[in-house]
Amino acid sequence: MEQDQELVRRCLDGENPAWEGLVCAHSRKVYNLCYRFTGRIQDAEDLTQEVFIKVFQTLRSYDSAQGTFSTWLNRVARNHLVDHYRRTRKDRVTSSLDDDSTPLPELPSTRAAPTASVESRERRELLQAALDQMSPDLREAVVLRDLQDLDYQEIAQVLGVPQGTVKSRINRGRLELARVIKRMEGMRGRAIDL
Amino acid sequence: MTHLEAENLASDYLEGELEQAQRADFEAHLGICSECRGLVAGVRRAIELCRAAEELVPAPWLASKILLATVGQRKPTLREQLASLLRPAFQPRIAYVVGMAVFSFSIFINTAGLNLRNLSLQDLDPRAWVYKANRTGHLLYARAEKFCYDLRVVYELESRFRKFRAQPEKQQEEAPSNEAPPGRSTDRKHPGAFQLASNSTSSKPLPRVADVAHPVSLKGSSIR
Repeated sequence: MEQDQELVRRCLDGENPAWEGLVCAHSRKVYNLCYRFTGRIQDAEDLTQEVFIKVFQTLRSYDSAQGTFSTWLNRVARNHLVDHYRRTRKDRVTSSLDDDSTPLPELPSTRAAPTASVESRERRELLQAALDQMSPDLREAVVLRDLQDLDYQEIAQVLGVPQGTVKSRINRGRLELARVIKRMEGMRGRAIDL
Repeated sequence: MTHLEAENLASDYLEGELEQAQRADFEAHLGICSECRGLVAGVRRAIELCRAAEELVPAPWLASKILLATVGQRKPTLREQLASLLRPAFQPRIAYVVGMAVFSFSIFINTAGLNLRNLSLQDLDPRAWVYKANRTGHLLYARAEKFCYDLRVVYELESRFRKFRAQPEKQQEEAPSNEAPPGRSTDRKHPGAFQLASNSTSSKPLPRVADVAHPVSLKGSSIR
């Protein structure tokens, strides 16, 4: 965290390598957040780039007294994702009528055995499909808590809501996710091993 | 506890955030309500599925793309430019060549007798290098030759002394055999006896080591 503060300070002094350090340190987290919201690799890459452009432009507005750089970055990313969601809602409804089952693109291969790799892919697809069916408010709460591993306080800062609301959203989100997963497994006819 | 209450507390229960009394109530409800048991199991499974999800690795060019879109083509710093220039020098073959060059140069400097701390204009004259290198080479050769010669002399002296020392012992051992065995002519002497006799005829006082080595060392002394 202190390292982030130092990098931010150097960035503001005009040191490009410091900005490079920030991008390298946080692009993976932002990319994963974007992917969980959109479910598409291409969209996740574009959104990650847009988020960092926004961060670069508004870096002076970051106040270390109000929280860590990571939390601020997550907030910027989340706001951008919400904007993107609202902006593309109409397009999404139209495209979902055309093609409801867009296959997930191939993800980076792992060194696991073929069977394990297939199971891992099934789990990933199931989770992403279930997240896509959730309402955005609940999805972001679950993603931040269970996938991005943020604590309640950080999530409250990112979402700009009280901790009680965060807890409630996370609980409702998990219940909804559990129901969606159960329904999807019922449609598939089998449960996926964890 | 009602279904709705249990539903609202499902996450707190699974994260261990319920107080003891509340937890006991919750578990008591689960004991009698199969619907809530299924619900809690489903939530637990959803959490496990999320936690087990692998973090995706973005494409390697994503960071470069972001940097290009924000700070543009970055100008490398002086340090990075130097590092990129020196990087080939750390390859083994280049390092070997550089090492050999340094070694050869140091040999040349030593041979030419140059003192790098006190260089004068005269030292920069190639004729002086050749002259000094030639002189050093001859000196080295002469010292090596003298060393070999000294070794030969010492070896020869040692072998002679060993021979002289062995002589009296041999004489004593072979003295009884000088008497002729019965039935044999006494004209022919024993080969060993002959050698002893011949040695004894030339027996002079043994020369001192210094006397023998002196001329040799004198010969080489001019080289030192």
